[in-house]
Amino acid sequence: MTGAWFPLAALGSSLLAAVLIFMLPERAFRARTLLNLGAAVIKLGVVAWMVWGLRQGREYAVEFPVMEGMSFVLRADALGIMFAGLSSLLWLCTTLYAIGYLEDSPNRKRFFGFFSLCVASTLGISLAGNLFTFLIFYELLTLSTYPLVVHRGTPKALAAGAVYLRFTLSAGLVLMIGMVALHGLVGDIRFGEREILAELGAERHPMLVTIFVALILGLGVKAALVPLHGWLPRAMVAPAPVSALLHAVAVVKAGAFGIVRLVHDVYGIELSHQLGLLHGLVAIATVTILYGSLRALAQQELKPLLAFSTVSQVAYIVLGVGLFGPLGTIAALSHLLHQGLMKITLFFCAGNYAEELGIHRIDDLDGAGRRMPLTSLAFTVGALGMVGLPPVVGFFSKWYLGTGAVQAGMPWVIAVLVASSLLNAAYFLPLLHRLWFRPGPDHGRGEWPGERRLGRFETSGWLLWPTLATAAFSVLAGVLAGMPFSPLEWATRVAIEEYLP
Amino acid sequence: MTSLLFAAGLWLALLWPLALALRVPVRAALASPGHSRRLLDGLWCTAPLPALGLAMLAPPGQLVLEWWMLGGVWELDGLRRPLLAFTALLWGLAGFHARGYLAPEQARLEAGDGSAGGRLQRFALLWPLTLAGNLLLIVAEDIASFYLGFAVMTFAAYGLVVHAGTRDARVGGLAYLVMAVLGEGLILAGLLWAAGSAGTLTLGGLREAIAAAQQGVWMAVLLWLGFGVKAGVAGLHLWLPLAHPVAPTPASAVLSGAMVKAGLVGWLGSLPLGDPGAGEAFARLGRVMLVAGLLAALGAALYGVCQRHPKAVLAYSSVSQMGMITALVAMGLIAPMAWPAISAAVVLFAAHHGLTKGALFLGVSIGEHPPRVPAWLLWSLLALPALSLAGALGSGLATKWAFKSPLYESGHSGVVAWLSLAAVGTTALMARALWRQWQSGVQARRDGLIPLAGPMPLAWLGMLLAAGTLPWWLPLGRPAWPPVDELPGLLWPVALGVGLAVAAAWAARRWPWHLHGRLPPGDLWWPLAAAWWGCRGRVQGPMAWLGETRAVLVACLVEGERRWKGRLVAVSRAEGWLRRHAAVLMMVIAIVLAMTMWGTA
Repeated sequence: MTGAWFPLAALGSSLLAAVLIFMLPERAFRARTLLNLGAAVIKLGVVAWMVWGLRQGREYAVEFPVMEGMSFVLRADALGIMFAGLSSLLWLCTTLYAIGYLEDSPNRKRFFGFFSLCVASTLGISLAGNLFTFLIFYELLTLSTYPLVVHRGTPKALAAGAVYLRFTLSAGLVLMIGMVALHGLVGDIRFGEREILAELGAERHPMLVTIFVALILGLGVKAALVPLHGWLPRAMVAPAPVSALLHAVAVVKAGAFGIVRLVHDVYGIELSHQLGLLHGLVAIATVTILYGSLRALAQQELKPLLAFSTVSQVAYIVLGVGLFGPLGTIAALSHLLHQGLMKITLFFCAGNYAEELGIHRIDDLDGAGRRMPLTSLAFTVGALGMVGLPPVVGFFSKWYLGTGAVQAGMPWVIAVLVASSLLNAAYFLPLLHRLWFRPGPDHGRGEWPGERRLGRFETSGWLLWPTLATAAFSVLAGVLAGMPFSPLEWATRVAIEEYLP
Repeated sequence: MTSLLFAAGLWLALLWPLALALRVPVRAALASPGHSRRLLDGLWCTAPLPALGLAMLAPPGQLVLEWWMLGGVWELDGLRRPLLAFTALLWGLAGFHARGYLAPEQARLEAGDGSAGGRLQRFALLWPLTLAGNLLLIVAEDIASFYLGFAVMTFAAYGLVVHAGTRDARVGGLAYLVMAVLGEGLILAGLLWAAGSAGTLTLGGLREAIAAAQQGVWMAVLLWLGFGVKAGVAGLHLWLPLAHPVAPTPASAVLSGAMVKAGLVGWLGSLPLGDPGAGEAFARLGRVMLVAGLLAALGAALYGVCQRHPKAVLAYSSVSQMGMITALVAMGLIAPMAWPAISAAVVLFAAHHGLTKGALFLGVSIGEHPPRVPAWLLWSLLALPALSLAGALGSGLATKWAFKSPLYESGHSGVVAWLSLAAVGTTALMARALWRQWQSGVQARRDGLIPLAGPMPLAWLGMLLAAGTLPWWLPLGRPAWPPVDELPGLLWPVALGVGLAVAAAWAARRWPWHLHGRLPPGDLWWPLAAAWWGCRGRVQGPMAWLGETRAVLVACLVEGERRWKGRLVAVSRAEGWLRRHAAVLMMVIAIVLAMTMWGTA
């Protein structure tokens, strides 16, 4: 029975932190910081313990019925714990970063309260054991991120928030309709009970396809699949740590993770393949990958560029899901983590440039490498990873996607991957050139848009160290990809469990 | 025990340059402000020494690292050893030369010039990093490590190309980077396709997979062209003549000597050369490669002799030489049985060209800063590597014989004839390079001599010595020297080339053509760049139209939504009206009802 406490503790640590933060007064900076960091560390510890225990073959699950035929289930399986591990690790980094980023700004209580709530929902999504539980946390995530997106309260932020709600709430409705239809068809499905749908007769298949389309529509909004991606570049008005969280762990990833769950644990890859659903996923992913990269190419500002890059990169996960075969699955699962590590690094860097030097536009970046060498190094790591160069983790996702495509009998996907790599190079390499090779204000040419000296190093330590840590993770997870507990190794375990009955 | 020693040596060879690269920013961070140290010091020059020691002394071996990326396999075998040896030696000597070459920048740094300091620091950091990539790609047997080394070398070298920061340097750097990225894309496609079809992670497995796969020949085409960007295959060579003249001379030396050979290493690693079961399709590919190689060998010579800048002439000579190497590699697909002998000749050719071209490039900077020695001595020393590259003496002669005899034995004398013709071109190119060097030397004397720092001539002499004695020390087995009666057959291209060069020089003096104005270095780059800008201009129209269409669509949707909202508001207003007038309405209904009841009653 002790197994039940761990998922609850992991979830509870951030929920409790959220409640306590709302109760603390606005000026209790120290207590809030302590609470935030304490909760983040405890959660990371609990999740790490569960990772270790899962490897030993232990089980962590808790459930109670909500009504007849429907229960609330939290269960740590290999796939869920992978996402939970990512979210708790990056939560710690983002919390540190946010503390430094929001120093001396108003409404910090509201911010950190909803921030904790948002992470609690992400954890709930990752540990949810059935569609019902998943949906609860999925909707909670929508609601808890809205105050973060509009945090600055400017008209632009409010407009972006309205677009965000419009997209996500209607998607949530579609998702719920699909879920109810599925429930009406076969009752409660636990994640992993793939045989339930597989055993349905062929006459139910059109119905299954329809439900699948509805569910993908619902999930695709958060995963920012083209043409449902419109909210994401708008949401860029949010503060940098929120963007980082949104792009790397929480919202976008929740959508992608949902698609992984749907295909692998509800429909099952065999049935999805049989129904021809995977082809549709590959087609959507291909369009999204290329469209996102092309739009990124045309951006003038840093954060929208990163946003369109996310649109393109998250579709890699969907592409991996759509490739029938273990290698494609490994690619999808590992990219879930890899993209998070790289993208959060890039957003942290964008935030550092904005905070320290007031840089928002790409052409203001000239010569920033000399002024902020460590941040620029981290940015370089992230950017090269996005292009897909080893030893940064992006290469490994690309490797498994490419080989998985051959395995699935779709070698043309390699052309998409290469085109995407070239496009990534076309918009990231000029940035790197500006950072390192163009003369800028530190070479005596022009001025930074708004320079502040935030700390002893190139910027405040709160902003610098998380950035360096995530950059180091992005490299280490690549260099040590063959070690136990590396994202790639864990993804391989999950995929093997999936394909070997 | 020996395996442990081997592992330690391999790690040291790869990590030592990295450590030296890391030392640069660490020292900069620790240095007290206003105090500058010598960046390219003696320790910095030792970066390739562990690798050189490994190549010369270590027994053959293999290092397997399960935790490294997708599983690391690093190897030192018969072909890798000579490649590693000449690469490390070339890097070492060029690095030593750089110490003297960049001494003026060091002086400016010490005088307090910040921008010179930044550039020098960048050079000091990227040089060993590029070296580490180059070494890794030679020893790597697993695909991921190989690609890592290739990518590190390619992208770090960009900083070396644009070192000077001038407009020309930026154009050269752009050409280098654009072509390199395209090449990386092709390589990635080929590697993924081939590795995916056989589920292999090593280069050996890749070769077998390509030979066995149904569409293996297309994978081979992708890899050939991808690595061909680096090796300067005809049509993909555009970056070479643009990047070489603008890079600092020691960087040009390693670019042309060692890094261009990375393309060759890629071919040797990934193409099913010398595999008799490879099939007819591969032989056809081999013939295409052969034609492309010979085209590059001859075309580059013709175009190169019209160049003014000695380094541009040398760059075209590299394209020409790599064309000859391409033709020889193609023989591995056309005549698999002859490959063992030819492969040794290819490696010898690569090493010979690498070091000799290194000596020629370093000679350019010696010619620009002539030392105070008699002119006849200087110019005969400068002419030595040129003669060697043309195949008249030393390693050039040995190389020529090394590939000529197996080609004759396998009955491909036609190829030999073409290669001899290419050697005529090489001779002409060398004559042109020396002539341009002579003229710029005269100019330099007139402008006043730039002081020559000690390491420069020493490194150059070292390179001359290493290139001249290559066949004796290169760990590739004992060289075979041509018998005396074969010598005329080997030397006629040189004589013909010299004769042609003299005739052309006389003709050019008589009727000046000024061809170099019409034939800029980088040949195809300029029309392609113009076409690209033209295309961009054309595409922008439709793109803007798409954007407008999208905006119109969104506006329509928003308008529709507003209209629906308006209707909803109207409904709620109607509801309010109903609410307010409920009593009256009820009365009216009651009256109407009452009247109808009366009427029926």
